[in-house]
Amino acid sequence: MSFKDILNSGKFAVTAEAGPPKGTDIKDMLHHMELLKGKVDAVNVTDNQSAVMRICSMAVSKIAMEHGLEPIFQMTCRDRNRIGLQSDLLGANILGIKNVLCMTGDHVSAGDHKGAKPVYDVESVQLLKIVDGLNNGKDMSGNELKGSTDFFQGAVVTPEANPIEPQLIKFEKKIRAGAKFFQTQAIYDIEKFRDFMKHARKFPVKILAGFVVLKSAGMANFLNNNVPGIRVPQALIDELKAAGKEKALDTGMNITARHIKQLKEEKICDGVHIMAIGMEDKVPEIMERAGLL
Amino acid sequence: MIITKKRDFKELRENIKNYKSFFLIGCSECATLCGTGGEPELKAMKETLEAEGKIVTGGIVAKTGCQVLGTKTELKKNKDEVDKAECILTMSCGAGAQAAVEIFEDKPVFSANDSMFLGNMTRYRMFDERCSLCGNCILDKTGGICPVTACPKGILNGPCGGCKDGHCEVSPDIKCAWVRIYERMKKLDKLQEFCDVTLEAKDWSASQKPRALTAREEKKK
Repeated sequence: MSFKDILNSGKFAVTAEAGPPKGTDIKDMLHHMELLKGKVDAVNVTDNQSAVMRICSMAVSKIAMEHGLEPIFQMTCRDRNRIGLQSDLLGANILGIKNVLCMTGDHVSAGDHKGAKPVYDVESVQLLKIVDGLNNGKDMSGNELKGSTDFFQGAVVTPEANPIEPQLIKFEKKIRAGAKFFQTQAIYDIEKFRDFMKHARKFPVKILAGFVVLKSAGMANFLNNNVPGIRVPQALIDELKAAGKEKALDTGMNITARHIKQLKEEKICDGVHIMAIGMEDKVPEIMERAGLL
Repeated sequence: MIITKKRDFKELRENIKNYKSFFLIGCSECATLCGTGGEPELKAMKETLEAEGKIVTGGIVAKTGCQVLGTKTELKKNKDEVDKAECILTMSCGAGAQAAVEIFEDKPVFSANDSMFLGNMTRYRMFDERCSLCGNCILDKTGGICPVTACPKGILNGPCGGCKDGHCEVSPDIKCAWVRIYERMKKLDKLQEFCDVTLEAKDWSASQKPRALTAREEKKK
């Protein structure tokens, strides 16, 4: 079943991430894909994540398909203008890529080419509209396409953004622009996420909660202090501290698994998105502990 | 106004190394307010150049250095000084420098400043950018705050995921443009408009370079 069909059937969906490497040696990436094959419903292929130049997401999405994984082609607006974005969308579609995740994209100042000219000719909401147009046989200028696309398009949302109101308004704009599914920024507070879902459930969209595994109390503090929209509750930090250095990662994996289990059992959302960030090999184990395998 | 910044003298020294004599042109408008092209700066530049063994034949602070004909007329009284100089050193913005290029067909023109942006002066010699001169104003739809300029990504429909406690991830010392817009529209009781309106992608053809404008009415013959 395709990722879209899984979500539409009401089955709890699981997605993970495949980060394209910097350079042409893709051995490790293929190994990670092999680990995820048959376990997750789709893999997100990041688009020059954190503005660090790597292999393009379209090529790696194609490789993922060849290795038995359904890709979610991530597309940011940082590096291409409206002509480049539309052209790549058409190209991705004829390669068989069906899922696209539309984002504005991290600023070049976060990456490894700080002198690059950031494009941002359009942004996430407008990119979603572009995809909707291409699906309906029209380019952004209203020109007829010879053959339209059939994308299942999604977007991102930060449920713990501060302040939350403008973020929620933008969430609605993304839905009106055609977003069918959302993958969230990492969440650590299920009760707060439940509140967000009460709002999100008013709309006909599927929500996959984002997870980043905590490796230590130090990492949790780092996320709290440095990453916008992430809030790790003190109770979890204490839990990691109490586990001690050697058991911290194991405890972090347990926390993720416990949260995923709760979301699924209580039907709080439609699926989860596990961002392993350098621990791709741990994803199957987390899924197992969460009772997903 | 156009915000200018004095160029590093080492760079300027390299550019002018083959020339001996200079005529200086400042500007009484923006460059004077920026402290890069008023009387005190011209005097300091003269001293610096002379210390380098150069000759400064003279100088003026033009009333409006970017106004080609006006500056040309002003310079008439300095004809002798200008003639004695091998080249011109402008102490204004890039527009002032290129007015001099148009006026002096046969002399090299060097610029002592870098032109930065169209700025507001918030306090004495403190400037920030609020307008990008895009040629296609959307202020009426964004609570009077320009996201094309105030948001590093130029986002038109709300904050990105990089908004941290109301501040911008790219420039943490500034407030998120979209949080400011949200708060202002809320105060003006226009929040519904913020919710309902999705701004279309901008038409950048309005800022296609080089831009020109004829704002005068042609006289009837």
